[in-house]
Amino acid sequence: MSKDRTDIAGMADEYVLGLLEAAEARQVEAELDRDPDLKAAIAASRDRFLPLDDTADPAVVGDDLWSRIDAALPVQGAASAATRRPTANDNSPGGQRWRATALAALAAAVLLAVALSFNLMRAVEPLVVAVLVNEAGEIQATVEDFGNERAAVRLLADFTVPEDKTIEVWTLPSPERGPVSLGLIEDARSVRLEGHAASGSGLPLPRDSQLYELTLEPAGGSPTGRPTGVILAKGLARITR
Amino acid sequence: MVTGSAPDDLTTALAACAQGDRTALRSIFDREAGRLVTIAERIVRRRDLAEEVVQDSFIRIWTQAHQYRPDRGSARGWIYAIVRNRALNLLRDGRREYTVEDVEGLRERDQVDHVMAAWHRLDRTSRLHDCLGALDDTKRRGILMAYIGGYSHGEIAGRLRIPLGTTKSWIRRGLSALRECMA
Repeated sequence: MSKDRTDIAGMADEYVLGLLEAAEARQVEAELDRDPDLKAAIAASRDRFLPLDDTADPAVVGDDLWSRIDAALPVQGAASAATRRPTANDNSPGGQRWRATALAALAAAVLLAVALSFNLMRAVEPLVVAVLVNEAGEIQATVEDFGNERAAVRLLADFTVPEDKTIEVWTLPSPERGPVSLGLIEDARSVRLEGHAASGSGLPLPRDSQLYELTLEPAGGSPTGRPTGVILAKGLARITR
Repeated sequence: MVTGSAPDDLTTALAACAQGDRTALRSIFDREAGRLVTIAERIVRRRDLAEEVVQDSFIRIWTQAHQYRPDRGSARGWIYAIVRNRALNLLRDGRREYTVEDVEGLRERDQVDHVMAAWHRLDRTSRLHDCLGALDDTKRRGILMAYIGGYSHGEIAGRLRIPLGTTKSWIRRGLSALRECMA
């Protein structure tokens, strides 16, 4: 990691052993894709400790576990649109579904074009834009950060939020400062967040590769001021140019 | 490095998964699921949660198979890491704390036994066995408790009855000595 590259191997070991704090572990995961040294150190660490996993006696596993997995597997590659939005009259897996997908894609393209021209026409430009993806790598949302704790969050997938929960938007301005809340998304709809009163002291201007994420928190927001719930989506920002 | 039988089969199976071949995922399941359930159970301490972890992990193995690169460690290490991470995340979400509270007292001893049993069953011809054996007892125990049982620094400090700061630095030094020994 950028703060002390000398101990990448130590950090990799602690990550593999599960000894890092949740926020540190998330940061390691966010850095993985663009830090080949860190990635290699983690791979080496995993293989070093793997013999300990061979000491486990295999449990007897029923066929029902496989049935549950098999039933939940998405179609490889084609994943999102087709599986997430089956239409009510979807009775022929071939034609109808692909037609629905094509129409959905067309509608999405129109929406994006409208959103984009809206963006281009606006007087204020975001400083950075982050595309947030879920664990399966599917695009879930974008965050445009205008600095001064003003941000626009656009949801690009349906989120199911239980009644006693809310989606909270976080960013990680620096490892020292830790994750900072940018605000809550009520009703799982795209929102503009304007200056989040609670954080008071203000944030540094967003920088390239800054981490943004959405988590599921108790209604009213995280009780600790740090992310506590599951991560719905995360991604690294890019500077607009 | 020795990582069990025919690691190449798993590499091939992952590549087939990335192409959408469900029988390849099934072959990984048939070969590894039993051991993966045990590994998850050592961490989350409940069979039903362990199966949930393995179920989620196989879906992840399927959707992320295309990201695996053979030049970045063994396929087996990659698969096992997905399961360990899911199990550790479940712990961090706090589910072990309140779901197991009632049986914690009963099973705590079992759990410590699991950790030490793993050490005693570790392949004696492995480099890892030699190098862990060269550490002093506390450092070795700390590292094993973290890897096998998913214990945090705080939990290790409490169980070994040493201050948190000392625990952290001992484990860090233990890990460093281990890397040097295995290099």
